[in-house]
Amino acid sequence: MEKVGIVGYYQVKPGLDTMMSPPDMIFTAVRGALDSAGLKRKDLTTVIGCTNDYYDGKTISNAYKVDASGAYMKDESKVEFDGAHAALYGVFRVLSGNHKLAMIYGYSMPSCFPYETVRVLELDPTFDRTISLLNSYTAGGMQMRAYMKKFNVSIEDIAKIAVNSIKNAAKNPSALPEAQQSNISVEDVLESEILSSPLRKLMYPMLCDGTAAIILAPEKQSLKITDNPVWITGVGSCQDTYYLGERDLSISTSMEIAAKKAYKIAGINDPKKEVDVAEIFGHTVCEDLILAEAAGLCEQGNGTSLLDGGPALNPSGGTMSGLTPCACGLTRIIEAVKQLQGEAQDIQISGAKKAIATGQVGFCAQNNILYVLEGGGN
Amino acid sequence: MSKVQPAIISCGFSEHASKRSDVNMAELVYEAVENSIQLANIDWKDIDLIINGNMPAFEGANMPELWMGDHIAAKNKPVLRVTTGGTTGGSVTIAGYYAVASGLYDTVLAIGFEQQSCGDTALGLASVAIGEIVIYPDVGYDYGKMASNMSAGAAIGVAAYQAMNYMRRSKATEEDLARVVVQNRRNAAKTWWTHLKMPTITIEDVLDTPYLSYPLRFGMVCPASDGACAILFTTEEKARQIADIPVYVNGVASVANEPAILAPNMEGAGQVDPCEQLGAMKSAELAYGQAGISFPEKEIDYVEVYSPFPNQELMWVERLGLFEENMAPEAYKNGLTAWDGELPVNCSGGVNSTNAIGASAMKDPLRPHCKSWEKLQIKYLKRSIRQWGMDGVAQLI
Amino acid sequence: MYVKTGIVAPEYNFWVGLVMDKFYDGLENKKFIGNKCSKCGKVFLPPRKICGDCFAKAEEFLDLPGTGVVKNFTIANYNVNERKARKLKEPLNVGLVQIDGADTAIITKILNINPDEIKEGMRVKVVWADKIKGTPKDIKGFEPIGGE
Repeated sequence: MEKVGIVGYYQVKPGLDTMMSPPDMIFTAVRGALDSAGLKRKDLTTVIGCTNDYYDGKTISNAYKVDASGAYMKDESKVEFDGAHAALYGVFRVLSGNHKLAMIYGYSMPSCFPYETVRVLELDPTFDRTISLLNSYTAGGMQMRAYMKKFNVSIEDIAKIAVNSIKNAAKNPSALPEAQQSNISVEDVLESEILSSPLRKLMYPMLCDGTAAIILAPEKQSLKITDNPVWITGVGSCQDTYYLGERDLSISTSMEIAAKKAYKIAGINDPKKEVDVAEIFGHTVCEDLILAEAAGLCEQGNGTSLLDGGPALNPSGGTMSGLTPCACGLTRIIEAVKQLQGEAQDIQISGAKKAIATGQVGFCAQNNILYVLEGGGN
Repeated sequence: MSKVQPAIISCGFSEHASKRSDVNMAELVYEAVENSIQLANIDWKDIDLIINGNMPAFEGANMPELWMGDHIAAKNKPVLRVTTGGTTGGSVTIAGYYAVASGLYDTVLAIGFEQQSCGDTALGLASVAIGEIVIYPDVGYDYGKMASNMSAGAAIGVAAYQAMNYMRRSKATEEDLARVVVQNRRNAAKTWWTHLKMPTITIEDVLDTPYLSYPLRFGMVCPASDGACAILFTTEEKARQIADIPVYVNGVASVANEPAILAPNMEGAGQVDPCEQLGAMKSAELAYGQAGISFPEKEIDYVEVYSPFPNQELMWVERLGLFEENMAPEAYKNGLTAWDGELPVNCSGGVNSTNAIGASAMKDPLRPHCKSWEKLQIKYLKRSIRQWGMDGVAQLI
Repeated sequence: MYVKTGIVAPEYNFWVGLVMDKFYDGLENKKFIGNKCSKCGKVFLPPRKICGDCFAKAEEFLDLPGTGVVKNFTIANYNVNERKARKLKEPLNVGLVQIDGADTAIITKILNINPDEIKEGMRVKVVWADKIKGTPKDIKGFEPIGGE
């Protein structure tokens, strides 16, 4: 695979209620991304949006975003999964040779819709939806119980990872302010409200409004645009079966397959040693561990060892720094890009050269996508 | 130009009907997927990526390919979802093209479907604008005034406005519109999977139906169908081994021109004449450029145009450069666009005869095979609309 | 800032398909009906038309007993349905139960037991709702069969 460069990015600062309208947020993100790369709207040839009709409450949710996203009279399309999947479509367009500059954006506003309720609409309407027992909380609870039982991991250990993520978020300038708690302890996490046992509230992300945008370009163009591009050197994606009863919830088959494909393309043989930073989109802290293990960052069941060494897990705080559906995958990519460019400020992992960023969609991370990113010369 | 040449090796359909009550969504899509895999004669395990699309408001299911995974040959495979409203079928097909053209995936299945009988079509379409228009009564602009001033009345209201403008420009008559419908419905009778098959319909039959919104009559508009369509893409190398006549895709483009009809916060339309269709012309230009076509009226042999309403078919074959401005009704009268004419249009009956919204924009690219053309490079145009049929165009050449 | 709230409530009626139709008919008679993949023999409950592993039709229907095993469970404090998410006054025992003979598990409630006493692997049997309508809601839940 030829390298695809990420030449610009922008994150609108997330908020529990940003008081911005969707076109405002998207314009801010797209304009910011173009400015960060020193490019103009006329340079863009394609725009891929990531929005979800149900999260937006609007059919054809990309319809009113065309002018705001710079897509007027440009080749525009929309992916309805996660921002990271939209980036995959952008990679297709850039690698095909037809497009020299692709703008990818993802946005949603959980302050305007009840996230957990709308997610119920993903369920099988012939059975699961009528019973109304499966939702993000119960799915997270069962996944955590399966993981803890199979690998004999204690809830304290998982709480330690939660504390690590929340403390990282507290140092992350792009995190949701309400999610930043620098004085949090393991006891705080264990005593927080039980959403669905054993899942605690402080192991579940806070939902926030936000928008993220990145700009992709082919290798030659990237080197002309910026001195410090970050390269996408590998990508892999996979979808598991929908039925929770048929999956082993303590592992993630789809992430294993996706990671293998991405590593093969990128030429990574030993992720434990070669990956410096891992930005994982897990819907709960336990899922972060399951996905990190499936991505080969540590032995299965041993996710908590990442606190002691190996690739840095979610130095930005991961989803504990705020979860914006549809934009989260792009936020993970942006955080990894910042690390590789040496621009991550207080959360910088020094000497970061290779990173992975993941996105997902579906209950218990049913559909995963993993990117391998490399710094241009940090 | 893309580095890898994508080719289409099969096109599978499910039965289209106004109510497919014998299947749930997953099973409906399975029919199309199974059909396309059988026609291509490949092993389902060889499919590398599945791309799916539909208009979510019509089924009440968010991201249905997540639970439909097993039925669409997607277990432990990558899946993408591409949806852009009415143009979804076109967008999914274009996404399939790009997936192969990028070199990352060899064999890609692109699926479009809709089971409109599950939901309320009018409300599904209206929710495009509900969030924007609810504010109006609070500022003294009541719904009645809105309906008469704006092109409300959902898709047909907008199309009627478009039809009026076209008829004023081209002096086309209702009879010309009816002629398009007759051609489409008779063509549809020759294809197994279409919805409205009417082999003996005449212009008088169409004009004998009541008006829905002048000048569009009941007999002229498209049906609401349940159905699915699945297209298999692969690389040129593999296509030569698998298919007798692979169909190479040479140019794709999709251009957004939403502000032409409605900007956010109902800021008003950017264009006064809805027949202008800047989006259509730009995307045709881009796609022709990629495919190396300079004289479309001479070089194109066959056209599939997305026209749920007959005036749109007339308008778009002109915008695509196939006929001179305002000359399309003449061409239809003279039989140029008939099944056996010089430039056949919509031999599958088009969207006028079958409209499962998520799938309609994926017309049958292999249709020309029935006419046994010799050219390997079969060029065809597919035109799709997003939203209420005003803007946003997708082309496939 | 101007904020407008309201409800737009479209109704959806899903076709369940002929395969699930049989399952619903079975529920009317207080029976579980599953089906079997024609290639690999995997048994599905609720039945489905296609087996994901083989991409082949599952054509043979079979009756399954009303007993099974708890594979996983969680004690939920929130109830989330299509209208709203609300905190429950009494926690709800939710579990994945695999019916004897089936290779899939269904999500259901676990009744008549203290949350602390639920264990993976315990045997349970179905409790039907008082009014049977032929929909999945007829499965009120599962309760422990005495003894592990």
